[in-house]
Amino acid sequence: MQTTIPSTAIVFKTLLRADLTTQWRNRRASIMVILVPTIILISWKGLVEKFGGAFVLSNCITVGLTAIGLMGYSNTIAKDRDKGIFQRLRVAPAPNWTIMFSRLTVQLIMIILMTSVLFLVGYKYDQITLSPGAYAFGFVMAIVGGAVYLSLGQVIVGLIKNPETVNATARLVYFAFIMIGMFGELGVLGKEIGELVKWSPYGTVKHLVATAVQPGTWDTHANMALLVTIGYTIVFTFLGIKWFRWSTR
Amino acid sequence: MNRSTTTPVLQVDQLNVSYGTFHAVRDVSLTVYAGEIFGLLGPNGAGKTSTLSAVEGLLKPQSGTIRVAGHSVTEKPLYARASMGVQLQATSFQPELTVAEIINLYAGIYGVRLSKERLEQILEDIKLQDAGSKRYGQLSGGQQQRVSLVIATIHEPPLLLLDEPTTGLDPQSRRQLWERIETMRERGHAVILTTHSMEEAESVCDRIAIIDHGKVITVDTPQALIDRNRDRPEVIKASRKGKITLEDVFIGLTGTSIRS
Repeated sequence: MQTTIPSTAIVFKTLLRADLTTQWRNRRASIMVILVPTIILISWKGLVEKFGGAFVLSNCITVGLTAIGLMGYSNTIAKDRDKGIFQRLRVAPAPNWTIMFSRLTVQLIMIILMTSVLFLVGYKYDQITLSPGAYAFGFVMAIVGGAVYLSLGQVIVGLIKNPETVNATARLVYFAFIMIGMFGELGVLGKEIGELVKWSPYGTVKHLVATAVQPGTWDTHANMALLVTIGYTIVFTFLGIKWFRWSTR
Repeated sequence: MNRSTTTPVLQVDQLNVSYGTFHAVRDVSLTVYAGEIFGLLGPNGAGKTSTLSAVEGLLKPQSGTIRVAGHSVTEKPLYARASMGVQLQATSFQPELTVAEIINLYAGIYGVRLSKERLEQILEDIKLQDAGSKRYGQLSGGQQQRVSLVIATIHEPPLLLLDEPTTGLDPQSRRQLWERIETMRERGHAVILTTHSMEEAESVCDRIAIIDHGKVITVDTPQALIDRNRDRPEVIKASRKGKITLEDVFIGLTGTSIRS
C-alpha cells in the first residue's frame, strides 16, 4: 500500500498558523502579559534618572519574560493537554517536536512583540534612547532570557497535571519572582537575599538584558550571568521534558 | 462479512501494554481487513482503549507488533499514523478555532490539499455548511462528532479507529454516524471501533472481539458468537427476554459485576 506523508515543513507551517490563530483569539491574555511590564515602565519614569534607563528597561523586560513563560506558555500547554488537543495531534502524522516547536515559536513571537513594545514605550515615554546595536543585542538577550522562563514553565506543566493548579502555581511563582527579584535587587530584603536574587533566574536575566542595552558595559559578571542563564535553561528543559506527559489521563 | 478484499489493514500480534505494574493488555492478537467493521467490546477497564492507544501510537507497547497498512507503528510511526484516521473518546480540537480552520489544519497535517470548493463540499456533507466560520467550542456534541469524523477520514485512510463514537449522541445523530461508517466500509475502509452498545455492535459490526482483563476472550461474527455461546449456562442466566442476544453473550462471558 502506498502511503505518503507531508513534509515536516508543511506540517510545521500548518501547526504554526493554527497556533498563531489561537493566540490571536486569546489576545486579551496576551495583552495583559504585555500590559503589566508596560505599566511598570511608565510608572518607573522617575527612576530612570536615578538608576538609569538600562535598569528600568531590563527590569520591565524581565517581568514580561516571566509572564510569557510562566503564565502564557505553561497555562496554554496545561489547558490544551487537559482538553486532549495534543493527543489528537499526536495520532496524526505530525512529529511530536513540531507540535511543541510551533508552540514555542508563538512564544518567541510574543517575546519579540513584548520587547518591541517596551523599547518603544521606553523611548517615547521615558526618553530611554539606545543605539541600534543595543536594541539588537537587547532583543537577543531577551530571547535568551525568555528561554529560561519557557523552560521553567515546562517544568511546571511537567510536575503538575491539573490546569487550574498549573495556573495557580504559575501565578505564585510569577509574583514570587517579581517581588523577591525587584525588592531583593534594591537591597530591601537584606544582603543575603540580594546576593541570592543576583544569581537567580530573575537576577541573571535582568543583568543580561541590562548589559545588552549598554553593550559597552559587558563584563565578567555578564559572562557569568550568561553561563548561569544557559545552565538554568538546560536543567529546566531537561527536567521539563523528562517529567512532561502529553496526556493528563 | 462484507469484506471487499482479504487484505489485512491492521495486524496486531501478541500485544502487551502495562502501566507500571498493571498489565492492561495481555497477548492481544487481532487482524482487521479492508472493508470490514470490527468491534472491540469489553467492560470498563478491560483494555479496549489501551489496545487502541497502542495502535494509535499513543502508548508504547511492552512487547508485540502492530502494523497498519503494512507499516510498523513503532518503526515507522509517521507512515502508520498517516494510514489511519482516528476519532478519540473526548472531543479534542482547539475550541478557539473555527470548523473550517480545524479542517484546514488537519488537512495540512495529513498532506491533503483542500480547495475552497472542496471545503464547502465537506461542510455540506456533514450538514454544517453554515457553521464553517463558527468556533468549534460553540458546536453541539453531535456537530462536534461530525467534524471529528470528517477529520478522521479527510485523507481517506485505509484504517479508521473510532473510540466510543456514539457516546453522548442523540438517536438521529447516532443513526447518521452509523450510516457514514457503513458508507466507509463500502468504500473499502477498515473500521475498528469500541462501543458499549451491544445492539449497535450486533447490527453494524462484521466481526467482534470481546476483551476482558486485557485478554481477547473471543473473536467472531455477532451471529456466530451468539450461536456458539447460546447453550452456556452463564449466557442463559444472563438472558432476560428469552431470546439470546449479543448482550447476553457479553454478560455471560465477562460476568455481571460492575467494573470501575
